Amino acid sequence: MMKAANKSFVRSVAGKSDSSDASTESVITMSIPTILIADDSDTDRLLLEKILVQQGYQVEVASNGKEAIAQFEKCRPDIVLLDALMPVMDGFEAAMRIKAIAGEDFTPIVFLTSLDEADSLAQCLDAGGDDFLTKPYNSIILKAKLNAFMRMKDMHSTLKQQRDEIKQYNSRLITEQEVAKRIFDKVAHAGCLDAPNIKYAFSPISIFNGDVILAAMSPSGNLVVLLGDFTGHGLSAAIGAMPLAQSFYSMLEKGFGIKEILREINSKLNEILPVDVFCCALVVEFNFKDQMLHLWNGGLPDGILYRPSEGKIIKFHSTNLPLGVRSNDDFDDHLVVHDLQPDDRFIVCSDGLYEAEDEHGNMFGEERFLSVIESNQNPDHLFHEINVSINSFIGVDTLSDDISLIEIKVVNADDLQVVFPEAVSSEKLGPKDWSLYYELRRDTLKDYDPLPLMLHILMQVPFLRLSSSQIYTVIAELYSNALEHGILGLSSEQKVTPAGFAQYYLARNQKLQDLVEGKVSIALHYQGDETGGRLEVEVKDSGEGFDFEPYLKDTSSEMQKKYSGRGIYLLHSLCQSVEFFDGGSRVQAVFVWGGE
Amino acid sequence: MTISSTVSQDGTELTISIAGRFDFSSHQEFRDSYENINVKPMSYTVDMNDTTYLDSSALGMLLLLRDYAGGNESKITISNANEDVKKILSISNFEHLFAIN
Amino acid sequence: MTQSKQHLDFDTLNELKVVMGDEFSLLIDTFKNDSIVRVQAIKDAVASVDPEEIRRAAHSFKGSASNMGATELTRLCRELEDLGRSGQVEGSQNLLEQITTEYECVESLLKGL
Repeated sequence: MMKAANKSFVRSVAGKSDSSDASTESVITMSIPTILIADDSDTDRLLLEKILVQQGYQVEVASNGKEAIAQFEKCRPDIVLLDALMPVMDGFEAAMRIKAIAGEDFTPIVFLTSLDEADSLAQCLDAGGDDFLTKPYNSIILKAKLNAFMRMKDMHSTLKQQRDEIKQYNSRLITEQEVAKRIFDKVAHAGCLDAPNIKYAFSPISIFNGDVILAAMSPSGNLVVLLGDFTGHGLSAAIGAMPLAQSFYSMLEKGFGIKEILREINSKLNEILPVDVFCCALVVEFNFKDQMLHLWNGGLPDGILYRPSEGKIIKFHSTNLPLGVRSNDDFDDHLVVHDLQPDDRFIVCSDGLYEAEDEHGNMFGEERFLSVIESNQNPDHLFHEINVSINSFIGVDTLSDDISLIEIKVVNADDLQVVFPEAVSSEKLGPKDWSLYYELRRDTLKDYDPLPLMLHILMQVPFLRLSSSQIYTVIAELYSNALEHGILGLSSEQKVTPAGFAQYYLARNQKLQDLVEGKVSIALHYQGDETGGRLEVEVKDSGEGFDFEPYLKDTSSEMQKKYSGRGIYLLHSLCQSVEFFDGGSRVQAVFVWGGE
Repeated sequence: MTISSTVSQDGTELTISIAGRFDFSSHQEFRDSYENINVKPMSYTVDMNDTTYLDSSALGMLLLLRDYAGGNESKITISNANEDVKKILSISNFEHLFAIN
Repeated sequence: MTQSKQHLDFDTLNELKVVMGDEFSLLIDTFKNDSIVRVQAIKDAVASVDPEEIRRAAHSFKGSASNMGATELTRLCRELEDLGRSGQVEGSQNLLEQITTEYECVESLLKGL
């Protein structure tokens, strides 16, 4: 307490003794403006002082330039009136020094002179003079000039104050934006973007970029990539990225499919964004196991699949409204399906790339973009070539929109390094011994995906979290086999050719809609302790079963391996045992880990 | 960039003409063109005969007009758009929201 | 009266009276004291035959003379100032004499106010 009191006492004394203290000075400025007169002629000085006092000013006097500087430092006058020719130090020199001392404070300097040749007047201006007063003095002119200078001074200090406020506000804003940007970058350019088969680039025109690039592995081991382009730029464009990214990652992790994720994002954005803000987006899911992609494009330029082996370019047009424009009732979640081949490149960019302009205002355009791809010799260099091409086209500093570009190289599932979540502490074992029976009937089968719920329940067991991807795959394969082969009677042989592949999915949707009866049940039996555990998954369908034998035996055909039956091989490789009962309508897979 | 609007004689239709680039800089002007009129038209026409370019902010502004005109119940026609402009509208599939001819 | 008007501008002097009030006589005294110094400075400058010195000295006296409404004195000072500015000294002695005479006249007129 004492210390604090002493300190403030010292400060207030210092403030009083120092007449140039900012707050003290501004109080004087408000009440009586002070004017400094420097003239070596006693007559002129006396007369001028008298006139100014009558006009309500406080007057300080000096008889040469040196005295004037001393007086200026002492009393900080609002306006300085300087005779040009004075002994010791003339008015020109004094003016320059006073301006230097005043710094940012606007101190008008008026030269008192009867100088009338241009050279001397120019010398006054060069020295920092703001105006002239000629002898003999005219009190009316004098009054008018000083009033004008006082108004100017007021305006100047208001401007300066506002400028300082803006400066301060701006620097706070920038600090806040930088903090927000660090958060944003974590959210908007995140996931597994660093995977070896992904290349991406983005060039923001402001701190915040209206573009979002997200990539993550689904529990089934598929790579899902989203490129989004929000209307506008900067903070308002970036703000929608938060809920978008959050929905994307959390739902994907929980095993939801991209249709559900798109619906969720669309409804969320529709709800929270203003009418005129929306998000053009392209979402693509790469299934490297089955070498196929599922894609949804709403408002972004064509997604491009480049097949170097055939020099082929396949385009995926935008067929939907952007995200957040309409409510979910009108939302079209139809996905485009296409086959993939290893070494294919999937490329998508925001429209900023096509609209990037060169110095003459020409746009980079789709044709130029495609010609870069067409002239490519080595697909590994393609991404670099696109970047070089766009940069040399626009030159520097001419970006008018956000540009984002991402390239995904299609690989074999086995080559992809899937990053598993970190091991969970085994302190909590969660539920140790339990069973679950879940039966899905006709209307549920049509449009409901039970996997997220199943996965959610299984993830209550920390041990299972370590293997969520494998377990998801096992259940997903068993369930889709039961539904597609058991209930719908589809044959995987259809999936042998790329065309058949697409037909298969069309037929699947149609048959689901027309489904009259059928049910699928999933039973889970779990037992585990600190050392390991055993999960038994049994999936049963009401269908007539299917001929699973060929899938177990035939390993000869490469195509077979590629497009169909793959699931069952996969089951064998992931599970300790897979057994078929009742002609294939009941399948039991056992998943064992840890233990002896 | 100039935006002008005219109401049909019977007051049922408002035509908004947009000349030059249609982008964020015309935000206020565009809103004024349909908000600052005395009548409540039944239908709207956005004449893009002289529109050279539109960006995503402009698409957002069209959505604002649509919202103002009654959302799903609105009757808005976008007419005379050149090929470039049409392409931008079609990439975003705005033909689902507006009559484009 | 007509003669004194040539030397002093009484409108200006009346204004000065209003402005200075009680201190009008102080202004007159100050001017007299100033002038002794100013006239001496002009004499020295003319003697030094330095046009720049002449110009400066004449300029300074011109200022206060004009403020006091000493019209003719102001005119003579300006003439001498112009002469100095043109880099000449010829005629400066003559002007100095005129200035001295004129100042004596102004001083006696001010005394009578």
